[in-house]
Amino acid sequence: MVGRSLREIIWARLRRDRVAMICLVILVVYYLIGILGPVVAGILNDSPYTLHPDLISEMGGKPIAAYGGISAAHPLGVEWGTGRDILAQLLFGLRISLVISTVATLMTVVLGVVIGIVAGYSRGVTDNFLGRLMDLILAFPFLLIVMSLSGVLTQRLTQLGVPEGNASRILYLILVMSFFGWPYLARIVRGQVLSLREREFVEASVAMGAGRRRILFSEILPNLWAPILVYATLTLPNYIGLEAALSFLGVGVLPPDVTFGSMLANSVTYVNVVPTYLFIPGTALVILVVSFNLLGDSLRDALDPKGVH
Amino acid sequence: MGGLTTRWSRIASLGAVVALVAGACGGSSATSAPPASTAPSTGASTAPSAAASTAPSASAAASGPKSGGTVYLLTQAQQFDQVDPQRAYTGEDMAFFQATIYRSLEAYTISPDNTKASQLTPDLATDLGTPSNGAKTWTFTLRDGVTFQDGSPITCADVKYGTSRTFATDVISGGPTYAIQYLDIPSNKDGSSQYPGPYKATAAQQALFDKAVTCSADNKTITFNLNQPVADFNYTVTLGFSPVPKAADTGESYGVAKPPVASGPYEVQSYQTGNGGKMILVRNPNWSQASDPYRHPYPDQWEVDFGLDPQVMDQRMIQSTGNDQTALMYGGIMPQDLATVFVDPNTAQPQYAGRVVNGYDPYARYIWINVQKITNQKIREAMAVALDRASYRKIAGGEFVGDLADGVIKPNLGMDYAPTNMWTTMFGQAIPDGGDPAFAKQLISQSGAAAPTLTFNYADTPTYGKIAAAVQASLQAAGFTVNLAPIPPGNYYSTVFDPKKAGDFGIGGWGADWPNASTVIPPLFTVKGGWDLSQANDPTFNTAVAAANAETDRPTQAKDWQALNTEAMQKVWAIPTLFGKASLIMGSGLATGTGANGGLYIWGPYGSNPYGDVYVK
Repeated sequence: MVGRSLREIIWARLRRDRVAMICLVILVVYYLIGILGPVVAGILNDSPYTLHPDLISEMGGKPIAAYGGISAAHPLGVEWGTGRDILAQLLFGLRISLVISTVATLMTVVLGVVIGIVAGYSRGVTDNFLGRLMDLILAFPFLLIVMSLSGVLTQRLTQLGVPEGNASRILYLILVMSFFGWPYLARIVRGQVLSLREREFVEASVAMGAGRRRILFSEILPNLWAPILVYATLTLPNYIGLEAALSFLGVGVLPPDVTFGSMLANSVTYVNVVPTYLFIPGTALVILVVSFNLLGDSLRDALDPKGVH
Repeated sequence: MGGLTTRWSRIASLGAVVALVAGACGGSSATSAPPASTAPSTGASTAPSAAASTAPSASAAASGPKSGGTVYLLTQAQQFDQVDPQRAYTGEDMAFFQATIYRSLEAYTISPDNTKASQLTPDLATDLGTPSNGAKTWTFTLRDGVTFQDGSPITCADVKYGTSRTFATDVISGGPTYAIQYLDIPSNKDGSSQYPGPYKATAAQQALFDKAVTCSADNKTITFNLNQPVADFNYTVTLGFSPVPKAADTGESYGVAKPPVASGPYEVQSYQTGNGGKMILVRNPNWSQASDPYRHPYPDQWEVDFGLDPQVMDQRMIQSTGNDQTALMYGGIMPQDLATVFVDPNTAQPQYAGRVVNGYDPYARYIWINVQKITNQKIREAMAVALDRASYRKIAGGEFVGDLADGVIKPNLGMDYAPTNMWTTMFGQAIPDGGDPAFAKQLISQSGAAAPTLTFNYADTPTYGKIAAAVQASLQAAGFTVNLAPIPPGNYYSTVFDPKKAGDFGIGGWGADWPNASTVIPPLFTVKGGWDLSQANDPTFNTAVAAANAETDRPTQAKDWQALNTEAMQKVWAIPTLFGKASLIMGSGLATGTGANGGLYIWGPYGSNPYGDVYVK
C-alpha cells in the first residue's frame, strides 16, 4: 500500500472544504481577468483611457444615463466628467492591484524567510542584530513614512532609471510594502527555526559535515513551507487593502491609470449623487480580499495536524 | 460690460487654476442678471451728491435691507493669500476687503448689472479724479471726515505712503504694481524703479517719489504725476492705492502679525489661520456713513471660517441650517452638486431660487501656442480647427464653467468685445464645436510640412489631466502626435514662462484688471506685457498695440482692441476655449440689497460674491 504524501493529504482536505474551493475558483477567475484584462476590454471594444464626451452632460460632466451612465455598452457605467468606461477601468485596475500585491507578497516572503532562517539558526550577535532590526522596522509609523517619503523616493527611483510616472510609483509601493512587511514573517520563521535546529535530523546533518547553507535551505526550509504558505495567503489580501488605502491617500498610481484604491478615492467625491461609483470597486475589492482570507484560513486548517479534518 | 477683474499675478493665476479644478463652474450668463433697476450709488460721472442714502435700492426684497446679524464666509483656504492692502490681488480677496475693511480713492459700483458695476463710484475721493496735462497728471481730493479705525483722519499722506509701499518689491510682494509702471519715477538700467520703497529709500530716492506724488497744503488733495498718458488712471487707483498710516506699518507682516488699520466700516477683531481658524470683523466705531455714501454695511459682524473641506462646504451651503443660513462660500459649487441646485445655468431649482447664480468669472481661458516653436501658421490653424472644444468644455464641467470663447477679450469687457468670427468665417469655413479633423488635415497639407509632434503643458491636477486627454485625442484625430507634459501646479507658470522648459502649447488663462482690453491684449501678446505665454513678438502688432494704448478716445480704442484681438486669433497665437463662469451659492437667511428679489448675483468687477450688498433677512 502506497502511503499518501503530505501534499496529497492536504490537497484532499482542501478539496473537501467547499468554502475553500469556491474561494479558489474566485481567485483563479480574478487572476485570469487580471492577466487577460486588456483582452477582455478589447472584446468589449473599450479601454479605460477612451473618452466618451457624448455620454456626459453639460451639468458638471454628469453621466447622462442613470446610475452613473449604466447602459448596454457600459454595463457598470462611465466615469464622471470623462465618460471613461468603469468596467474597463476595473479590469485594468485589478491588474495593477494584483501586480502590486502579488509582487510585494513574494518579496516579503523571500526577505522574511531568508532573514528569519538566518536569525533563528545563528545564535548570538547576528540573531540579536537581526532581532533588533525587526523591532526597529516594526516600530516605524508605517503610513506616515510611506506618505511623507513618496515624493522623494519615487523621484530617486526615476533618477535610477525607472520610467517616470506610474512605473516608479508602482515600484515604490512594492518596495515600501515589502520593506515594512517582512519582519512579521521573519519572526514567525525565526521561532520555527529555533525549535527545528535542535531536532535530530539537523544534528545528523551537522554531524555529517553539511555546510551551513545546505542545512538552512535544504534541511530546515522544507519544514517551514506550511506556515509560509499560510502567511503568504493572508498577507496578499492585506496588501491589496493596503495598496487601496495608499492609493486612496494619493500615494498610488496617477490617472488615467487606476487601481481599486484610486477608483474608491475618486468615487467619494460623487457618493451623494452616484453611489454606484463607490459600490462597484468596493464590492470587487471585498470579494477579492474575503476570498483570500477564507482560503488562507482553510489552508491553515488543512495544514494543522491537530485539525479535525 | 465691463467686468474688470483681477490680473493674474502668479498667485492669483494659480488660484484660478485651482478654482477650475475644484469645479468652480458655471452659472447663468452675466446678461441674465437682473435688470439694473435702482442701483445704490450715483452714476459714475456725477459726484456722490446723494450722500447718505442708507436705503440702497427699491428693488430689494419686500422688507428691504436690514442691519444686523453675522455673515459667515466659508472657505477651503487656510488663510487669506494676503491681507495687506498693497498685496491683495485675487478678485475675491479684493472684493471682500474693499467691502469691509479697506477704502480706496475709487470703487466699483455695487450693482447686479455688469455695465453699471463696471463704472466707478467715488470712495475716499470726492469725485472720479481730475486728469490734466493730457491725462499725465491725475488729482483726487479726499472727502471730509474720513478716518481710520482709531479715529485719526485719513490724509493725503496716508494714501501717498500706502502707494509708496508698492515700490518695496522685496517686502511688499505679490500685489499689483501699477504704481511702479505708471508713476513718473526714473528707472534703473534693468528696468526697476529708482525708488526702492519707503523702507530703504535714501533722501534722494524718496525725493523722486515725493516729486511724482504730491499732497496739497491742507493734506487733502493728492496729485499723481505719470510717465505716460493714462486715460483711465482712476480705474488704476482701485489696485493697491489704499491708505496705510506710516506709524502702523510693520512691513512684510503688516495685517498678519497685528490686525491692519481699517478704513472701512469694519475692523479686524481677530485673525487665526489654519484649519478651524477664523477672521472676525466687527463694526469700526469710527467709520461714519456720512463720510462713506458708497457702502451699506448691513451685517454687524463678519466671520471667515478657514480650512473647510470643499465637499462639506457644498453640503452645508445646500442644507443651509443654523449659522449656515447666513453663510457665503468662497469659490464655486462643485460639479457634482450642480444638478441639486440648478435646472440649467440660468435657472435654479425652485427651492434654491435666489440663492444660487451662475455667471461670468473674471477669466478668459485659452490654449497658448508657442509661436517660436510652431512657426507655421497653417499648422497652428490646423491645431485650432482640430480641437474638440465641446468635449473640452464638457470635461471641464459643462456649460456651467463657461461659454465657448472666440477670443481672449471676454464679453464682460463691454465695448472692447466684438465677435472675432474665429469659428464661423475666419478660416474660410465654419468650424463645429467638436472640431473638424478633416479640414485640419487639409490645412496641414497646405502647410507644406508634415504634422508635427507636439508637447502639451498643463498643471498636473485631475481635471486638467482629463482635459489634456481630450486635447490629445482630438488633435491626434487630425494626424498630430501629442505628448502630454504635466507640470506640478505650483510650478506651472514659472515653467511655461521659461523658454527652455515650455512645451509647444498649453493651458492658460487671464482676467482683465479693469474694464479695458489694455489690460488684456498687451499682457498676452507683447513681450513686455508680462503674460506672453505664446512668446508672440510681432513688430507690426507691437506697434499697433502701442498706438491703441495711446489712443485717448475710448470708442476708437475699443475698435483697436477688437481688431487686435481678431488679428491675434487670425494668427492663432492662442486657441480661445472658454469665457469662464462661476456658480455661487448663499445661505437661505441672506439677501442682497440690489439683486432681483434680493437674490444672489455675481458682482461683475471682481467676479465675486456681492460682499458689499448682502444683509441678514
